[in-house]
Amino acid sequence: MNFTSLEPVVIFTLLNVAMVLGLYITAMSGQLSMATAAIAGVGGYLSAILTVKFAWPMLPSTVLAALAGAIVGTALALLTLRMRDFILKLTTLAFGEALSVLAFNWDYIGGANSFTGLELKTTVWTALATALLALYVAWRFDGSRLGFASRAVRDDPIAASAMGISIAEVRSLTFALGGAIVGFAGAVQAHYVLVISPHDLGFFVSLNFIIFLLFGGIQTLWGPVLGAVLLTVLPEMLRFSNQYRLILYGAIIVLVVMLRPDGLLTRRPTGHGLRLFGFEIAKDRSANVSSSRPAPSSQLTFGRQGQAAE
Amino acid sequence: MDLFLQQLANGLVIGSTYAVVAIGFALAFTVLRVINFAHPDIFMVGMFAGLLAGVQTPWLGFLVTLVAGAVGAGAVGFALERGVIAPLRGRDVLMTLIGTLGVGIILQNGMAVIVGPDPVAYPALIPRRFVDIGPVSLTMRQLANFAVCLLLLTGVSFYVRGTTWGRATRAIAERPEVAAAFGVNVARICQFTILLASMMAGLAAVSVGVLYGSAHAFIGLLYGLKAFICMLVAGNRYFEGVMVVGLAIGVIEALVTGYLSSSLRDAAAFFILIGVLYFRPNGLFGSYAS
Repeated sequence: MNFTSLEPVVIFTLLNVAMVLGLYITAMSGQLSMATAAIAGVGGYLSAILTVKFAWPMLPSTVLAALAGAIVGTALALLTLRMRDFILKLTTLAFGEALSVLAFNWDYIGGANSFTGLELKTTVWTALATALLALYVAWRFDGSRLGFASRAVRDDPIAASAMGISIAEVRSLTFALGGAIVGFAGAVQAHYVLVISPHDLGFFVSLNFIIFLLFGGIQTLWGPVLGAVLLTVLPEMLRFSNQYRLILYGAIIVLVVMLRPDGLLTRRPTGHGLRLFGFEIAKDRSANVSSSRPAPSSQLTFGRQGQAAE
Repeated sequence: MDLFLQQLANGLVIGSTYAVVAIGFALAFTVLRVINFAHPDIFMVGMFAGLLAGVQTPWLGFLVTLVAGAVGAGAVGFALERGVIAPLRGRDVLMTLIGTLGVGIILQNGMAVIVGPDPVAYPALIPRRFVDIGPVSLTMRQLANFAVCLLLLTGVSFYVRGTTWGRATRAIAERPEVAAAFGVNVARICQFTILLASMMAGLAAVSVGVLYGSAHAFIGLLYGLKAFICMLVAGNRYFEGVMVVGLAIGVIEALVTGYLSSSLRDAAAFFILIGVLYFRPNGLFGSYAS
């Protein structure tokens, strides 16, 4: 196994990490976008057209692709703003699929024959830079006011708006930010794959990113990253049994969902200690809290009454 | 005018299958709060179960094939409910979505390993003869497909309105806790709901297989997405609403194919979905709050 055979896997893993982080930011405000692949495709198409038909260099075209991703994301957020029920947020699914059909019927961008003629520009380092950029943005987002506001909107929209958070603003901003990352990564990917076809925008491609997200766990930034890395590398590792590869892939997804329903990585409640190989790496503050306060009422009512009486 | 009526009839035939699959989605989502993405692949399994019976015993005919399809799909559906959906009960809707999707991937690719990834010929159990009804001419196979689906739709409509279990089903859809307090065996009804939806899908799948004369391991994708859209457009409050939307989407697709272009056919459903959800976010006929 030499380095060149690993290159595609490494590049796709890094770009998938970037895109799933875009989806992570979008999902933070409680709206799960099922149009990730479509937004990536918009970025990819735009960047491809600019470089091939207008002879732009790659970098400005990817920046413009990020902008386009942000615009599409915002449009999507405004379209779905009034929809509350989870199931109806799946409109994003139809949005992506409609974009796919549009690309299919638009001859200027290749139509059903796909868009070709790109030059290979993306290297491992470009992909790594993209992934690190996405990671940095997502990390800063998590600790920002917008990050806290969007988590508040996700957990309880009514309470959040009562606290003065504009739901429309938060959702539009998270969709725009996530869309920008996805559009950028999509453009970078287009310069590696060299062919963009309308099928790349479809629902089942988007669904992959949702699987990455939920497989890894949505509670922390690192969950989606782990999900994207594992689920991109895993099918490649399973190539020894080509025929049974996707069956195993499905079985692994089912197993993780059954055994770890919150995803692989979960956040431990603040204040709980964390031990790694016997060393205390985070101090356990919950013990002090529970000893100084009376036991929670739930413990008094459900079982272990003898203990509580002591 | 003749083209219009002909496409209307063709659309109703396709739409009736969408409606049956969509009802399967709607039953699972309303009663169990589960988006069962394995449902289209259960449809596919039913198709191949029917094919197996049809090839082994061609002299027994269409009815036995239908029964085999229902049994095959029902068995997979029951196993899915016991193995994946029931243990994940009460979890986030997305987790069961991913779980059932994983099962769907296993079913699809498992079937592709068994029968190969290419379409397989379906036994010709009904002659491909044209029947003229006024200005419209349909094949016997289309009529059989339509008859099976229409029977299933009226049957399920009667079941949820007219029988004790059906009323219990609707009670669970409305308020699971209250239904349980009134003595409804929620777990049992949930099992039966998935079993019913799967068997219906199996029956419809066999009639579709006979209609097109071929079966395919990945055919579920095609019907699944359309049926899912039907459920979203209709909202899940009335099962009859889902049926009407299923038929309507079939008709609209047929008309788009007839008058505009066949490449726009698949887009029609998505544009309808976006339009409807923008103006009526709970679907045309309303939804239960989840």
